[in-house]
Amino acid sequence: MGSLSREAWAQRLGAFRASPSAFMAGPEGESLGRDLLSGLRSEKLSEQTKVSLLVLSLEFPDQLWPDASVAEAATTSLLDTLDLLSPRPSALRRPLLLAATTALIAGGALGPTSGASGRLLRLLLDLASGRALGRGFGLDSEQRPLQATALECLRELESCQPGLLWSCLGLLRGLLRREAPVQPLSLLLTLVLRNALVARARAGTSLWGLLLGGDLPTGDGSCPWDWTLAGEGDAHLKPQAPCWPAAEKEEGGLAALEPSPEEARELRATVAQLLDASYLLTPVAQAQLLWLLGWGLQGLRGQPPALFKPQLVRLLSTAQLTLLHAVLALKAAFGEALFTAQDEVLLLQRLTVAAQHPALPPPTHLFYLHCLLNFPENCPLGPDGEEATPLLLGPQLCQGLLPNLLHDPMALLARLHLLCLLWAEHEEEERGQLQSLQQYLETLLAGLRQRAALAGGPRTSATLCFQASYLVARCLSGYPTVLTPLTHGLAQLYQTRPALAPHFVDLLSSVGPELGEPLKMVLRHEVVLGTSREGALRWHLQTLAKVVDGEAQSTTLRFLQAAASHCSDWGLQQALLQVCRNLMRAGGGEGLADLLQALAVQLEDPDGRDHARLYYLLLAHLSGHKLGMALGPSLAAPALASSLVAENQGFAAALTVQGAPASTSLRLSVGPRRVHGSSPVLHLQVEALQPLYSLELRFRVEGQVYEPLEMVHVPFLCPDHPARLLPLPLHPRRPAPSHLGVSALYTTPTGLTCHAQLPPLLVNFQDLFLPFPSPSEGTGPSFFDELWASCLPKGAESRVWCPLGPQGLEALVSHHLEPFVVAAQPPISYSVAIHLPPASKLLLRLGDAQVDGVSVALRTDDWTVLPLAGDYIRGLSAAA
Amino acid sequence: MAQRAVWLISHEPRTPLCGTVRFSRRFPTVEKRAKVFNGASYVPVPEDALLLKALLFEFRLLDDDKDFVESRDSCSRINKTSVYGIPVGGEELWPVVAFMKNCMIYASVPLVEQTLCPRPPLISISGVSQGFELLFGIQDFLFLSQKNDAELNSKLNQLPDLLLQTCPFGTLLDANLQNSLDNTNFASVTQPQKQPAWKTGTYKGKPQVSISITEKVKSMQYDKREIADMWQVVGTVTCKCDLEGFMPNVTISLSLPTNGSPLQDILIHPCVTSLDSAILTSNSIGAVDDSAFSGPYKFPFTPPLESFHLCYYTSQVPVPPILGFYRIQEEETQLKITVNLKLHESVKNNFEFCEARIPFYNRGPITHVEYKISFGQLEIFREKNLLIWTIGQKFPKSMEITLSGNITFGTKKHEKQSFDQICIGSTAYVKLHFKIIDYTLTGCYADQHSVQVFASGKPKISTNRKLISSDYYVWNSKAPAPVAYGSLVL
Repeated sequence: MGSLSREAWAQRLGAFRASPSAFMAGPEGESLGRDLLSGLRSEKLSEQTKVSLLVLSLEFPDQLWPDASVAEAATTSLLDTLDLLSPRPSALRRPLLLAATTALIAGGALGPTSGASGRLLRLLLDLASGRALGRGFGLDSEQRPLQATALECLRELESCQPGLLWSCLGLLRGLLRREAPVQPLSLLLTLVLRNALVARARAGTSLWGLLLGGDLPTGDGSCPWDWTLAGEGDAHLKPQAPCWPAAEKEEGGLAALEPSPEEARELRATVAQLLDASYLLTPVAQAQLLWLLGWGLQGLRGQPPALFKPQLVRLLSTAQLTLLHAVLALKAAFGEALFTAQDEVLLLQRLTVAAQHPALPPPTHLFYLHCLLNFPENCPLGPDGEEATPLLLGPQLCQGLLPNLLHDPMALLARLHLLCLLWAEHEEEERGQLQSLQQYLETLLAGLRQRAALAGGPRTSATLCFQASYLVARCLSGYPTVLTPLTHGLAQLYQTRPALAPHFVDLLSSVGPELGEPLKMVLRHEVVLGTSREGALRWHLQTLAKVVDGEAQSTTLRFLQAAASHCSDWGLQQALLQVCRNLMRAGGGEGLADLLQALAVQLEDPDGRDHARLYYLLLAHLSGHKLGMALGPSLAAPALASSLVAENQGFAAALTVQGAPASTSLRLSVGPRRVHGSSPVLHLQVEALQPLYSLELRFRVEGQVYEPLEMVHVPFLCPDHPARLLPLPLHPRRPAPSHLGVSALYTTPTGLTCHAQLPPLLVNFQDLFLPFPSPSEGTGPSFFDELWASCLPKGAESRVWCPLGPQGLEALVSHHLEPFVVAAQPPISYSVAIHLPPASKLLLRLGDAQVDGVSVALRTDDWTVLPLAGDYIRGLSAAA
Repeated sequence: MAQRAVWLISHEPRTPLCGTVRFSRRFPTVEKRAKVFNGASYVPVPEDALLLKALLFEFRLLDDDKDFVESRDSCSRINKTSVYGIPVGGEELWPVVAFMKNCMIYASVPLVEQTLCPRPPLISISGVSQGFELLFGIQDFLFLSQKNDAELNSKLNQLPDLLLQTCPFGTLLDANLQNSLDNTNFASVTQPQKQPAWKTGTYKGKPQVSISITEKVKSMQYDKREIADMWQVVGTVTCKCDLEGFMPNVTISLSLPTNGSPLQDILIHPCVTSLDSAILTSNSIGAVDDSAFSGPYKFPFTPPLESFHLCYYTSQVPVPPILGFYRIQEEETQLKITVNLKLHESVKNNFEFCEARIPFYNRGPITHVEYKISFGQLEIFREKNLLIWTIGQKFPKSMEITLSGNITFGTKKHEKQSFDQICIGSTAYVKLHFKIIDYTLTGCYADQHSVQVFASGKPKISTNRKLISSDYYVWNSKAPAPVAYGSLVL
């Protein structure tokens, strides 16, 4: 494909430009980079075509040669092509240098291990220092532009790999004294110097030797560039990050090291040299030089910013955007050290003049206005990062910057913002002037409203009016003297042109309550009491949907009732129902149910009737909370889904029970045992983790050893309240421990009903113990003996060794068996009788305690409890 | 400080896309830096087609303005500078410097050397002013002395080469593109050492210096007690110095007659080397100072090769050159109008042209006009709802002329007919257009003898002056009119 003709290339390039990604995905995409490189060497193609190929490679190297190895190869090929050019003047040399540099950087191939990087750097440095110029590299006439281009390429390499050329500082400085193109050289030197100053602060190295360094090293092995400072990968670009050199910020950055006197002197001389020659640079290049020097020298000791002073008058007098912007950067970098209070006033005046000068284009005005509101003051008062008028810029100076109706929208808004800031800042003082400012503001807003009210006017005039209202409401939210007339003005605008309803809805959603609440009220009034004009119903309903609330429902309902008869099409009916929906959310009301019922019959469209009926049912059956939830916007529905989908999802979410993880809602545990009554009772401890309404706990007994358990209801639980104890009576079918499965059903504060499965609760054997009715005084032993005797022969008897802890028998009994002791001779012997519902008994005789344990004789009339009782007794001392 | 990409987009209403990308250029090495600097907030530069659509939408140039679209019309979307956030592919590309001029959108994306989240203020981004400068440069190149589409196309074809010269890696080297064009044409000139970068060659030929002063006067006249009339002069001094040698020095002095109005708000071309500080401080915004500096205004400079604006100034002259009154009375079916114009005696009564345009907006077409004028001719353009009163070269001896008439309008047929956002109801204006040759309202002149040239050969020095009206409005005194704050009589 290397021998494509000029036309074929033109066609290919056109196709590529139309959509690079599509082209690269196509059949020709893969070979384009290769073909381009061979095309450059083709003898059939004209130089002009080759330049167009190079321009393409300058713009899309990452598509042509996407990874480092390919980019490396491409750079090598471009450099070879350059070498192969005949010594005649050629328009290809410059673009080839640019293309090689671009390919190397964009492909990520630039680095110490890359052969092409070394080759390119050597060539560029040779060209820049004028040394390649005798080697038949073009003719004399071409050499100067090539030298300039080489310097540009070096600058780009240094930009992308800061610190790469820092050891060339001396060389570059030397060139400045000789006949080298002054602009590219100054810019390169400044950039290298700035980067070196940054690196110096980090690495603590001295620049002195470097600034005095001489020519390029001539030996083949040594190279004048340095990858060590350039760092690994892309990390090197980070440290320069702060865009805007701020004077008062940490001294630490570049100022950490005090330069030695020699170093300071050389540095000063270099900077002075650069500044003196800066007049020879184009204005945009001068601006770059100033930004870079401002960055580099900011806070550096021994470098008085006064070096810049001789330039300032010249710079301040121009109308050049970049120059004035650079002066502002110097202002930010050096603050009071370079600009005295008088200088600051002058700079502000110049900015104010420039922001309204009729000779400058509008985008410039707006940018200067932005600069004024973000002006780096010597002594800033307000909070950082907020737009404010500088202290020295009072209403008097700003007079010419105030908006009027003849301004285009952007200028009007920018100036209106200034007006609001002035008003707010000078509210305390200057009553008289303030009043006139306020009057002016009102007239201006009225003018904008008049424009917006014009039927057939463009959308922009309406948008502008609402943008202005929003801006005023935002900036002056605390000033009812401004907001009240604004509210009434807007109400009047609505009256004249209800078609602006979408703008009103948007405004109400955007502004705070200071304007929003009164505006809602007047608009509601306007809609429900206003004369409904033909065709405006749609807009009225749209507005009403936004502004309805719980108040003044009767008039709203009357309006809706009347409107219903005019709602002939589906859209209007939906709008009407939307209002009803919002009314329901705002708190329903009795009349609303009647209206919905009427609508369910009256509306023409079956869909509308269905909806009305549904709303009626919801209103009649759901509590306020739940209703709000059911009608609220669904979080599940994507923003773009139709309202109907969103609505249905909202219902679905609100009306079905949601599964919820137990850990987020409540904790349930068994509380301390209390023995009384005729059946065992578990005392449940419930702890809510969020407010819960209508909590219902359901239990399932494992193995059905107890009768089914009743549900437990709790109307309201709140996390702040202490845990409540809920009694849960058990009715055992046989005396055995078991697990209770527990599930909870509750309503969240957002109205959702949730179901959660809680961890099972364990019912222990001892939880089922009940005492026998206590015998009368003194008859205990005989009562126990009767029971003891009654167990046999049907029951079972056993003897268990119960280990004792250090507290002894008395403690053990009082701790675990106290309620069941029928007769005792403390601390020697105890007779314990336990009733195990439904109809079993367990009798224990404890006595004759040894040091480490006590022998327990036990009898029961139910042999199945024997192993349980044994386990229980053996576990007693451990449980103590 | 660099640009990541630049575009020129022409607006073509009523075509499927509503526009075309006429030129685009990306700078991949800058893009590489942007990726690192912006980190997680990096948004890549989109392909042309995507950007075209997004920019046209942002500028409201897609042909669907009918419905409220939140992403465009929401009141909280307020842009106060010509720097936009453009949604592309679900993300927002910011900052995009963009403006529209002559049906062409100029756009560029400056590099921000830090993260974009939170957005730094524009003032802290060096690339923003550079982006503007680049776009202004392109605009000047395309539209200065451009006459037709063919010429525009040929200039657009030159752009890739020119940007290769002036902005090879996205960093702008010279905003004057024409300069680079000359540079490529004269590449064989070997430049000596101290040649300024903004002066690409040397002039060979007869030495001459021409200085022209153009003053534009604008005015808003209300004829109301509570509103002060406003008028302002804006001057531009343009020079073309054809001088041999590579660094010729020239000093031009602007002088005022004894009763002349001081020049204020002076903005100077960057080639001026030094300046009297009084020139810098005289401005129209501070307190009025009787001892205002009144010249001579000396400007020493080394001229560039091309014609350039040496300085701009404004001035507040004591009276407007023409004082007007305009009254409209609405009667049932017709408008009764009276226009009165009076030339001030101090003004040179010798116009190249002078006319008053009287438009009627937001009304049906003019059906009938009865009028009486004391001087000049009246032309009626019914389809445009416009009257043009041609006054000609001179005002009569009385210096005062009058027009009165009755105008009847038909019914308005469609909404867009003669639509205007300002002239609602009886709000209306007369706009004056005039030009006076060899005259300035401030009296400012460049004395031939005071021009000093330090170069070989004695140059021929030519000077000329003119006064042109610009935005010269006389408002109907019987209805509200747009007022600037400064005009309110406090």
